[in-house]
Amino acid sequence: MNTDWLYDFPFKIPIDLGAIDDAVRGFSTKYDSFFNVIRSALNGFVNSIYNILDFIPWFVLILLVFIAGWKLSKKISTGILYGASLFLIGAVGLWDLMNETLSIVIASVIISLLLGFPLGILISTSDRADRIVRPILDTMQTMPVFVYLIPALLFFGLGKPPAVIATTIYAIVPIIRLTNHGIRQIDREVIEASLAFGSTKLQSLVKVQIPQALPTIMAGVNQTLMMAIGMVVTTSMIGATGLGMEVLIGVNRVEIGRGLVSGTAVVIIAVILDRITQGFVQRSEVRSDGK
Amino acid sequence: MKKITSVVLLFSLIALTMVGCSGGTSGNKEIAFADAGWDSIKFHNAVAGIIAEEIYGYSWREVPGSTTVLHEGLLKGEIDVHMEVWTDNLATYGDDLAEGKLKELSINFDDNYQGVYVPRYVIEGDTERGIKPLAPDLKYVWDLKDYPEVFPDDENEGMGRMYGAIPGWEVDEILHKKYLHYGLDDNFIYFRPGSDAALATAITSAYDKGEPIAAYYWEPTWLLGMYDMVLLEDEPFDEETYTEGETELPAVKVTVATSNDFAEDNPEILEFLSNYKTSSQLTSEALAHMQETGDDYIETAKWFLRENEELLDEWLESEDAETMKNYLNK
Repeated sequence: MNTDWLYDFPFKIPIDLGAIDDAVRGFSTKYDSFFNVIRSALNGFVNSIYNILDFIPWFVLILLVFIAGWKLSKKISTGILYGASLFLIGAVGLWDLMNETLSIVIASVIISLLLGFPLGILISTSDRADRIVRPILDTMQTMPVFVYLIPALLFFGLGKPPAVIATTIYAIVPIIRLTNHGIRQIDREVIEASLAFGSTKLQSLVKVQIPQALPTIMAGVNQTLMMAIGMVVTTSMIGATGLGMEVLIGVNRVEIGRGLVSGTAVVIIAVILDRITQGFVQRSEVRSDGK
Repeated sequence: MKKITSVVLLFSLIALTMVGCSGGTSGNKEIAFADAGWDSIKFHNAVAGIIAEEIYGYSWREVPGSTTVLHEGLLKGEIDVHMEVWTDNLATYGDDLAEGKLKELSINFDDNYQGVYVPRYVIEGDTERGIKPLAPDLKYVWDLKDYPEVFPDDENEGMGRMYGAIPGWEVDEILHKKYLHYGLDDNFIYFRPGSDAALATAITSAYDKGEPIAAYYWEPTWLLGMYDMVLLEDEPFDEETYTEGETELPAVKVTVATSNDFAEDNPEILEFLSNYKTSSQLTSEALAHMQETGDDYIETAKWFLRENEELLDEWLESEDAETMKNYLNK
C-alpha cells in the first residue's frame, strides 16, 4: 500500500533562492560607498570608545568600579569584591582584550539606547505602531544570528562594524519593549491628572510619564547591556577581536583552560555591569516611589 | 464523542504508519557515509552513493558529526565509509591504521593546495571589469610587505590586512608564525576571520566589488573553483620547518577509509571504493558548478559523472561502467 501521500507535502513553492542571493550581493556592490561611510563611522565610534577606555589607567577604573559598587549597595565589601574581580581580569593578562570587548559592547548599547528609547516612547503612544513593531521585535530576537550576520558581512566587511550592528539588532529589543511597557503601565489617572493641571502632552511625557516609568526603563537598559555582552562570543566569529575571540580560539582548539579563563572574564564583566546598572534601577525605584 | 473520534483517528494513523514502514526497509543493504559538514565530502558521498545505489543496490545515508567524532564512529563500525579522511588533521590516524582498526581504501586526492591567495586581477588587472593591476609585482608571500596600502585594514590606519585561517585550526598557528617570520607584522595586521562562513563572505564580497584581498584559503572548495585566485608562492616545502611557517604548506593526503566490519561484509563494493580517485581540481570544479546552478549534491554528482565519464571506466568493471553511463544519460 502506498501511503506516501499521507506524509509527503502535496506541493512545493519554488522559491528562487539564487535571486535573493544575487539581489543582496548586487545591492552590497552597488551601494558600496554608502556602506563604507557607515562602516568608517562605526569604526571611528568604536575606536574612540576604545581610546577612552585605554586612556583610563587600570587602577582608576578599578577604583571607579569599587566606588560605584560601594555607593550603590551601601556595603564596602561589595565594592571590594567588584574591584578585586576586575583586578583579576588584569592579573591574568586580559585587560586590553577586555577594553576591546567593552568598546564594542558600549558602542552597541549607546546606539541601542539612542534608537530604542525614542522608538519605545513612540510605540507606547500609538497602538497601531505597537502592533506593527511587536512582530518585528520578535523576529529580531529569534532570527538565528548567522542569518543576518552574513549579509552584514557583505555590507560592512569583517571586524568591529558588523559586530556592532549585529549586537545592536539583538540588544535593542529589551529597551524598546520595556520603555513601551513602562509607559503603558502608568495609571491613566496619573496622566489625566497631569493633563488636567494644564500640562501639555510633551510636558506630561517628560515630567510625569518617563519619571514614573523610569524603573522599568532602567531594567530595559540593564537587559540591553546583558544581551550585548551575550553576543560577545558570537561576534568574534565574524572577526571581532577581544575576549570573545579568546573564547573562540580556546574552544576551537579544545584548550579548555584558555576558554575557561577568558569565559570567566566575560562573566565578571557581565556581573559587574549588571549589578551596577541594577543599582541604578533600585535607586530610580526609590526616587519614583518617594514622589 | 469528539474524544472517541480522535482516538480512532490516532490509531488508524499508527496502523498506517506501520504498514508504510514494513513495506520499505526490509532486506536492503545500507551504507552510512560520514558527513563532516563541508561541501566536498557531501559531494563525494553523493557520487559514491549514486554508484552504490545503481550498481550494487545499496541504499545510503549520511551521519553528521565533527572530524574526530566521525573517526571514532568509523573505528566502532557505526560509520561504514568515510570519503574524505584529512589524514593530517587526525592525530591518531597513522597509529589506528597500523593497528588495523580501519581500512584505508584509496587516496581520494592529494593535490589540494592551501595558502595565501589574492584575486588574479590584483596582479594582472582585468580590462573587462575595468580593474587596474594594483600589485603587479606580487608573487611571493613576503611581497605583501610592499603593498600595505593595497590591502588596507580599516580598523588600523596605514596598516594592511591579511586574512588568516579560522582560529583553532592548526594552520592558523602556522600562518601566524609565517606572518611573523616574513616580517609582515611591520605593516600588516593578521586578521582572524572567526569562522569559515565569515572568511568565504569576505572573499566573495571583495571579489564581487573588484577589491583587493589577501586571504588564507584551501582546496577543494567551491570558492576556489569559482573565482580566479592566485596562490602566493613561498619557499619550497620542507617537512622540518613548515610548521614554523618558513616554507609553503603541504598538500594533505585525503583518503577513502572504511570500517573493518563493512570491509569484511561487502567485498564487491570495496573494489569500487578502492579505485575511487578524483582530484582537488575536479572537486572544486564540481562545487563551483553546484554553487552557480544551485543544484543539490545528487544533481551535481550526476552532472560531475556525466562530465567526467572516463572516471567511471577507471573505477568500475567495464560492464558496470556502461550501465552507469546509460543511467546518467537517461
